[in-house]
Amino acid sequence: MNTAQRVLAAGLSLALLPSATLADESTRVALVPGGPHPYFAAWEQAGADAAKDFGLGSADYRVPQKWELGLQNQMLESLVTQGYNAFLVFPGDPVGTVAIANELAETGAPVMALAGCLKDPSEAVFCMGTDTGNSAYLGTKELLKQLGDGAKIVHFTGFLVDPNTQLRIDAVAKAAAEGGAEVIQVIADIDAPEPAEEKINAYLAAHVDEVDGIVTTAWVPAVVASNALRKIGDKRIVMVGIDHDEVVIQAIKDGFVHGTMLQNPYGQGYIGSFVADRLRSGCTVKADAPFKSNALTDKFIDSGTVFAGANDVDNYVGSMQSITKVLFDEFESTYLDC
Amino acid sequence: MNQKFWQSEWFGPLLITVTAIVIVSSLNPSFLSPFNIQILLLAISVNAMIAFSQMIIIAIGQMNLSVGAIGGMAAISFGGMMEVWGIPWPIAAVLSLSIGLLAGIANGALCAYTGISAFVITLASLSIFKGINLGITEAQPFYDIPDTVKSLGNDTFLHPLPWLVLPAVAAAVLLWYLLFRLPLGRAILAVGGNEHAAALSGISVPRIVIVAHAISGLLAALAGIMLVGRLQIGQPTIGDDWLILSFAAPVIGGAILTGGHVSVAGTFLGVAIVAIITQVLVLFSIDPFLVQVVLGGLILWAVGINRYREVRAHRKIAAGAI
Repeated sequence: MNTAQRVLAAGLSLALLPSATLADESTRVALVPGGPHPYFAAWEQAGADAAKDFGLGSADYRVPQKWELGLQNQMLESLVTQGYNAFLVFPGDPVGTVAIANELAETGAPVMALAGCLKDPSEAVFCMGTDTGNSAYLGTKELLKQLGDGAKIVHFTGFLVDPNTQLRIDAVAKAAAEGGAEVIQVIADIDAPEPAEEKINAYLAAHVDEVDGIVTTAWVPAVVASNALRKIGDKRIVMVGIDHDEVVIQAIKDGFVHGTMLQNPYGQGYIGSFVADRLRSGCTVKADAPFKSNALTDKFIDSGTVFAGANDVDNYVGSMQSITKVLFDEFESTYLDC
Repeated sequence: MNQKFWQSEWFGPLLITVTAIVIVSSLNPSFLSPFNIQILLLAISVNAMIAFSQMIIIAIGQMNLSVGAIGGMAAISFGGMMEVWGIPWPIAAVLSLSIGLLAGIANGALCAYTGISAFVITLASLSIFKGINLGITEAQPFYDIPDTVKSLGNDTFLHPLPWLVLPAVAAAVLLWYLLFRLPLGRAILAVGGNEHAAALSGISVPRIVIVAHAISGLLAALAGIMLVGRLQIGQPTIGDDWLILSFAAPVIGGAILTGGHVSVAGTFLGVAIVAIITQVLVLFSIDPFLVQVVLGGLILWAVGINRYREVRAHRKIAAGAI
């Protein structure tokens, strides 16, 4: 864990000091991403903090070795035999993961889809994550505020197998159309450093003079594009990134990037672990809980997103704290019957 | 050695490379801009090392599925040693190369002395090396990469030639010299051509297998270290995408997967073809959902052209002999 993440985790943990005291020490929560990715790293500290703050038996972060559905399923089955009895899962596939989620639920374990949703119907109690379409839309709007009519923008985004990618592509296109801008290129499947480095740099090498703005909607492309703009030394191109990687934050401070759309992985893991325990303690999800809908599910909870520009970037931890605190304070009364 | 140059295995890839450059640059002149050449050479330099790492194993008639895992492990070791222990980068680089070398020796020894196929051994070691990678990093990158390393990974020594071209060219020359001028290299190709015959002629097959895997591990580690400089972070996912390229480039370059025949120049050109194809897909705004399909199709096309040329050449030779 790097310095920024430690500060973030400590800050959030202190700020959220728990109200719940009826925790069950037999609760063992597993937080399982689809594969290794820096976005999910905050889940580890979130689980540890939740276990400590709410008196859970444990809330452990378990990472499959690769982004492969079969590997994730095997890990989840293995975790059941190891005694885990609550599961917070980023679905390796929105449809493919439904079967294993239902199997887990049949053991009596609460299952939540975190950071990405399962396709309805499923036994997951709800899906909590960034409203990715909204985040991409707001990020593009922030970008277009800096550009005039007829601006030409490019969109760098994540894995094509991630259903969020199409939502992001659509949202950026919608915001661009509303703002009188043109999306001249979408480069996808680059949420890994090597293809991102090769494709983003190749694109900018050939088209740097034709581009007015860049919007990135995945972690690695944001990092690579920040570095590319620094390398080119171009402050004419306006860029809005995503997430809080050190490289992006520093590029904002140095004026190479206009701002970033912060997401809330820590809040997802922390609140998800808390809710898992409450559900095991007898709480139920309210029948009339005000869930939102997205393309996959009608049981969606937005874990929050906020834009951090040059003026906010020094206090980005505070920005993330505040969205988590708002969600946490009202979660039990809004979504649970206890 | 009397073979005419247009009959050599690298002539086909060279023809495809030159044709592709001419066509692409005529359609999009920015393709030959100094900055784009620099970007292209950066990609080719690292990818050549990855392809060479697999090529040397293909030469002995085996395959190494753990090339990416070794490269990734060396990369995060390099980044981790500099960030966590504050080790100067040259020492960290040497230690990381040693890790790659040891991983290769372990692969080779297991293949040579257990009788289990390299496919199975390297499939298992892939999992072990990747597991070590994730255990060390917990999927978190190492960020504190010294400026010198970043500079070596991105800057040029003679515009637009990047520093990373130098180790790639050096590796190519040394590999060519090893394979085609030294007894050890001849032994590697002999083992790949016919392991039984090589053993009967006095070659220690286990020793050759271990040496080939050791070289492969060393080259994979070097690729990992180069990528840390290029990406400016010690990213745990380094190596995850290497497998297809590591086979595609040597095969495009004329390597025979059953062993005994590889081409250093052909492999280098195979890497260039894949890099150009990748760039073309970006430059011509191919629909992102079709990129993989087009890339696969173009690689098949490139391999097919080369194969067709080889078959025609052999037919002509056969006809001449009659």
